[in-house]
Amino acid sequence: MADEEFDGDDVGDDFEEVEDDENLDDLQEGEEDETQNQYVELLGAGEGQAVPTQKRITTPYMTKYERARVLGTRALQIAMCAPVMVEIDAESDPLQIAAKELRERKIPIIIRRYLPDGSFEDWGIDELIISDF
Amino acid sequence: MKEQYRETDVVRNILDIQFGVLSAQDMQQLSHAHIVSSDLYSANKLAREPAPHGVLDRRMGTSQKDVTCETCAKDLTDCIGHYGYLDLARPVFHVGYFKNTIHILQNICKVCAHVLLKVKDKPGLCEQAKRITSYLHKKALYKRINELCKKMSICPYCGARNGVVKKLPPLKVIHERFRNVKKGDPIITDYISQFETASEYNKDLESQLSTTVVEFLNPSQVLDLFERIPLDDLPLLCMDQQYSHPKDLVLTRLLVPPNCIRPSVISELKSGTNEDDITVMLTEIIFLNNLINNRSTGKVQSVQDSWEHLQLHVAFLMNSEISVPHDLSMARKSTRGFVQRLKGKQGRFRGNLSGKRVDFSSRTVISPDPNLRINEVGVPIEVAKQLTYPEMVTSHNLALMRQLVRNGPDVHPGALFVKPRISPGVKKSLRYAHKEKTAMELRLGDVIERHLMDGDIVLYNRQPSLHKMSIMSHRVRVLPWRTFRFNECVCAPYNADFDGDEMNLHLPQTEEARAEALTLMAVTSNLVTPRHGALIVGATQDFLTGSYLLTQKDQFFDKEHACALVNSILAGKEASYKITLPPPAIMKPKELWTGKQIFSTIIRPNQAYPVACNLTARRKDYTRGEELCSNEAWIVLRNSELLAGALDKSLLGSGSKKNLFYVILKDYGKEHAADAMWRVARVSTFFLMNCGFSIGIGDVMPGTGLLARKHELLLDGYGKCDGFIGQLSEGTLHCQPGCSAEETLEQLILKELSTIRDKAGKACVMELHKTNAALIMALSGSKGSFINISQMIACVGQQAIGGKRVPNGFDDRALPHYERHSKIPAAKGFVSNSFFSGMTPTEFFFHTMAGREGLVDTAVKTSETGYMQRRLVKTLEDLYVAYDMTVRNSTQDIIQIQYGGDGLDPTELEGNNGGPVDLERVLDHIRAINPCTKEDPLSGPEVLQLSTKYLADDAFKDLSQEFKAELRAFMEKFSKRVEKMRARLSKDRTPHPMARHIERLTLTQLIDFLNLCLERYQASVMEPGTAVGALCAQSIGEPGTQMTLKTFHFAGVAAMNITLGVPRILEIINASHTISTPIITAKLKEDSDPEKARQVKGRVEKTLLGEVCEYLEEVFLPDDCFLLLKLAMDRIRLLKLEVDAYSIKYSICTSKLKIKEQDVCVESDTIITVRPSRTKASAMYYQLQHLKQHLIKVIIKGLPSVSRAVINQNDTGPGGKPKYELLVEGNNLREVIATYGVDGTRCTSNNTYEVFTCLGIEAARATIIREITVTMETHGLSVDRRHIMLLADLMTCRGQVLGITRHGLSKMKESTLMLASFEKTADHLFDAAYHGQSNPIKGVSDCIIMGKPMNIGTGVFKLLHNHQREPKPRTHSLIFDHPQMHIPLALGGWS
Repeated sequence: MADEEFDGDDVGDDFEEVEDDENLDDLQEGEEDETQNQYVELLGAGEGQAVPTQKRITTPYMTKYERARVLGTRALQIAMCAPVMVEIDAESDPLQIAAKELRERKIPIIIRRYLPDGSFEDWGIDELIISDF
Repeated sequence: MKEQYRETDVVRNILDIQFGVLSAQDMQQLSHAHIVSSDLYSANKLAREPAPHGVLDRRMGTSQKDVTCETCAKDLTDCIGHYGYLDLARPVFHVGYFKNTIHILQNICKVCAHVLLKVKDKPGLCEQAKRITSYLHKKALYKRINELCKKMSICPYCGARNGVVKKLPPLKVIHERFRNVKKGDPIITDYISQFETASEYNKDLESQLSTTVVEFLNPSQVLDLFERIPLDDLPLLCMDQQYSHPKDLVLTRLLVPPNCIRPSVISELKSGTNEDDITVMLTEIIFLNNLINNRSTGKVQSVQDSWEHLQLHVAFLMNSEISVPHDLSMARKSTRGFVQRLKGKQGRFRGNLSGKRVDFSSRTVISPDPNLRINEVGVPIEVAKQLTYPEMVTSHNLALMRQLVRNGPDVHPGALFVKPRISPGVKKSLRYAHKEKTAMELRLGDVIERHLMDGDIVLYNRQPSLHKMSIMSHRVRVLPWRTFRFNECVCAPYNADFDGDEMNLHLPQTEEARAEALTLMAVTSNLVTPRHGALIVGATQDFLTGSYLLTQKDQFFDKEHACALVNSILAGKEASYKITLPPPAIMKPKELWTGKQIFSTIIRPNQAYPVACNLTARRKDYTRGEELCSNEAWIVLRNSELLAGALDKSLLGSGSKKNLFYVILKDYGKEHAADAMWRVARVSTFFLMNCGFSIGIGDVMPGTGLLARKHELLLDGYGKCDGFIGQLSEGTLHCQPGCSAEETLEQLILKELSTIRDKAGKACVMELHKTNAALIMALSGSKGSFINISQMIACVGQQAIGGKRVPNGFDDRALPHYERHSKIPAAKGFVSNSFFSGMTPTEFFFHTMAGREGLVDTAVKTSETGYMQRRLVKTLEDLYVAYDMTVRNSTQDIIQIQYGGDGLDPTELEGNNGGPVDLERVLDHIRAINPCTKEDPLSGPEVLQLSTKYLADDAFKDLSQEFKAELRAFMEKFSKRVEKMRARLSKDRTPHPMARHIERLTLTQLIDFLNLCLERYQASVMEPGTAVGALCAQSIGEPGTQMTLKTFHFAGVAAMNITLGVPRILEIINASHTISTPIITAKLKEDSDPEKARQVKGRVEKTLLGEVCEYLEEVFLPDDCFLLLKLAMDRIRLLKLEVDAYSIKYSICTSKLKIKEQDVCVESDTIITVRPSRTKASAMYYQLQHLKQHLIKVIIKGLPSVSRAVINQNDTGPGGKPKYELLVEGNNLREVIATYGVDGTRCTSNNTYEVFTCLGIEAARATIIREITVTMETHGLSVDRRHIMLLADLMTCRGQVLGITRHGLSKMKESTLMLASFEKTADHLFDAAYHGQSNPIKGVSDCIIMGKPMNIGTGVFKLLHNHQREPKPRTHSLIFDHPQMHIPLALGGWS
């Protein structure tokens, strides 16, 4: 509604110049740091490398995001006529079947958790603690 | 149908976007047509064929349904469009790169085109420019090189003189080559001498030459210069050579966009076609082009004019909003250039790329239905028949699907389409197919687009979507009639009411979407708001009234009524519940059950039901005596049995942690909490429907006693006000510190009048019977407050405008019905009548004035907070908790090492002061659910010893130190309590055997307790992947909208006003350098002595000479004249000013007045004379007058930036001694800290920028946190500190305080797409193109724009299929593998 006004160049132009000038010094300082940093050795990123099972550091709990995605992916597989890994009664909702499979830890899915440096940890569904379910 | 999203490696994946500047060659390569003709259509009018080589040439695609493209032969829907190009007759500047063009011109020598840098600097900078990868650093370097080059005036390569290059609006460049050269310098005279011949023939030229010499650089010259820039110098312009070259910034060729983005519409009203703005502008450009080409032999002037026109037209094509001098504006009507298509809310970025329209959605009016469960939504059957879900036929649902197909499109649980698997892409409508046959032919893998059915998962949303709870997933209940319905408990998160509100419903189309919606967005998963971790879904209005009345102590039911009431919960999944009715509370003369018993049964229908909640709480109106409180305000729940207290809003409603449903949620999970909420809703409405609840005029009729009391109060109050007014006119009014007499009067009167209303309100609440409907509603918290009641019954009270009494709109009065200058209450907006008794016309008018202010305020506030929310979300959207528990942004920069300092999730925290567990309550709970009757209770020391031992166990190593300390302190406190209790009971007699069972805690209970604490702690750790940034933005933005009214100023301590409310929040997050009310809080070295405090105040506060002068007189003597100053020594002494005549003399001499030392003479301790300077040219009399005027404004003591300092008295000193501190209005924290007497280590300001420059970035961060917290708290809004910390951390993460504005944002983020979708769309795009920036698609905005799933939440990890590997078949060893089987190679054998 009203933020259209703020989008134009009518508001900030007056002081933009001032601010730009002011921050120039700060940025320059940052620049000099940069030049010093060229002798600092950066540790190699673990891009695309797996963390060995014993050295995993992430939480042993399954996060709600993992649960949601695992359930969704599995429900989709079931909806596309994948064989079901548990006994089912009358349920026909793939999501409910997937939930039952997850409760019994029968979902054949591995979660690949990426760490910020690009390395990853693989956790099987059966390794994770599922709480609040 | 919507395609399901598939993440595969086969499909191409957009990793990044490369921006760049197209060269003329690139344009030609992209194009399929050379455009030269300015005609749109060929001469044959009837055929309506586009002119060949015109801007509508069909080789550029088609814009009509019945015509195919000539390049790809596809039709309108399939042809993607093709470019054309046109050659410009003369080069022109590109309006988007004009700024960069100027910069480059400033950077290079205008003769030899080398970059104007010292030869020794060049290699270093060049190296740096090549190495930089970060966009932010590149921009900074660009600016720095530009600064350096601007300083050079002589080119180090060719020695040519370079001046200032400036732009001359609209699109011209001037070069002032000789700007800094003095007149008569040989360089300039040489230059002028070139024109001698010319000026001989043209006399006008001479006058031009005599003034400054400027050169116009036309695009051709600029292009020539740019082409000549040496290759080695290119990196210094911070362009990426691969994607952009300076010479491309000057256009010689234009790309003509495809027809499909500028369709030509055949007009139905008039003959001919309607052409798009772009098409029109292109034809104009071609027309001008041809004009210039044909005229190239004509007059120079006319070609120049055409060239300028061409330049402007090309600029308008790009950006039609550039400002043009009036004579050049060519009477244009506003057109839409490319930039206009992109920018703004309706533009491409915000209107189409980031916000998209959706299918499978519906919208209608909402209405309430307490019979629906919390997580349900009632959907009209008409809507259900329109919305479809593509369900695949599997062996599990084959029968159901057949039935749906049989039902067809018109019977409710039916289906609209069938998509057989064998023929992909074919959609069979069931409206025209044989349903029975189709049903029987269904095969596994077919897709049925079926109706919306009961139990389906839908997303339900109400605008404005201010927080994540504004869109939640519900389960569908298909119902008759035409409105969406839901349980009123869910009104709060949507902020919905039923006065005609409409809401939207979306049906997720894939299994994945359904699963995510169900697990993450379900109402039951969002019962708690992340803002402060309290319930947001909770009983409201009638539910509260009903429960309050039901749980009153005088509520009894006989068997029939009790059973009827209890049985009202038997519906839905509870239908088969067994209910155990407890034994009646009263047996004789009749079996009667109390309302509390009924309520307990509702919470726990039978003994086997798992929910046993324990809670002890007190309501606001608690008096004393715990259970015996006369207001029933002490609430005790033991094992789901309501033992004492009537339940009100704080126990059942939203917004509190001492809440029945919250306790159930914490101890038994969300499903039980939602069920309990639904049962309470059912029972309370059932009860209320039977006993009836209504409000009428009788409820607001005051009794005679009340009227008399009110009259008395009014008389008394008016009398006091008259007294104050009288004191003012006599001048005897004692002023409050820092206020004038008028201000003091206003404050006194306001205070007096508000006490009238408060007292009248109290009187009327006292008088009301407890069955009064209004009173019940106020007490239960369902609607209205005591103020509303007293306004209806007793007195409406003072009407305030801007926090003050009604201002004077007429001459010296508010309304013409009163005397001028009248200050009596009635004349300034005091309404003594009640709404019941009716207002007089003047009162009514005052009331409307105040009402109008409220309306205006809300209207203004919504737009302001909306914009604030948008900015917050844009800056914080990509922050998430990574798997190593750090908070990072999309470029993996660390914002916080651990979220909120402890890595805990605000949603899960139960403790009152930010801890994860409310220890007291959990201990009570453990003791109540498991009494362990067989075990012996532990003694105090045992408790401590055992808990310490158990806590040292390895299982507890995950606990944070803070929580461990909290736990330990709690156990210590508890053990002391046990000890004390035992000691008291065994003091003077042998302890009773029961004495040990008071404060009973057994070993099992202790261990259970500690284990539960551990479990709760682990459950409340923030989950990796959470979008904490978005949560933070919403948690700060959403309460902003609630800060209504009383926003602007809030009277703080000692009449010092500080800005609060939305304006203050805006100041903080904008990181404004100058804030409206800067205040420095200075603690004193000696803070108990008011005298010392006054001394320090004198040192800090700005004192003018005039303020300490008794008089200032001109003295004229026969031989002398001077100004005579008499100092008011009493005043100086009173103010504890450390000045004397000599220091004042010094101040006068050092002031701006430039008075010489010998002219100021200290005659005595109190008298100073100032003589006018004899040397000055002006007359002495005038000098004297000048001095007289300005002398009184000389600052003799204090800091010039400090206008006022107030001594604030804190009563909380040790031993009841008051403590003093100094509140300084103004800036300059540094000087205040340095003032003698101020404790410099404990000084702070509320100006973040001031704190940053004086104390550094960490202090600035702390200030931001403190200031936001304070502002929120004064409005009664609680926000978890973690959110505020995250915001402060983000604002300070780059080492300077960056505001949440477009300036701050462009220093925080690298992503061009993100910045472009925020503000200044075109500028960011052009900048990125200039620098040849590549934009990796990682951030949230980027991903939305590209239609990719983002790397937050369910996107932080990947899923792999875990296939069981077959064990490898045993490999048989071959005989060749065995060396002993080898025949020894006998070389000799071969020979």
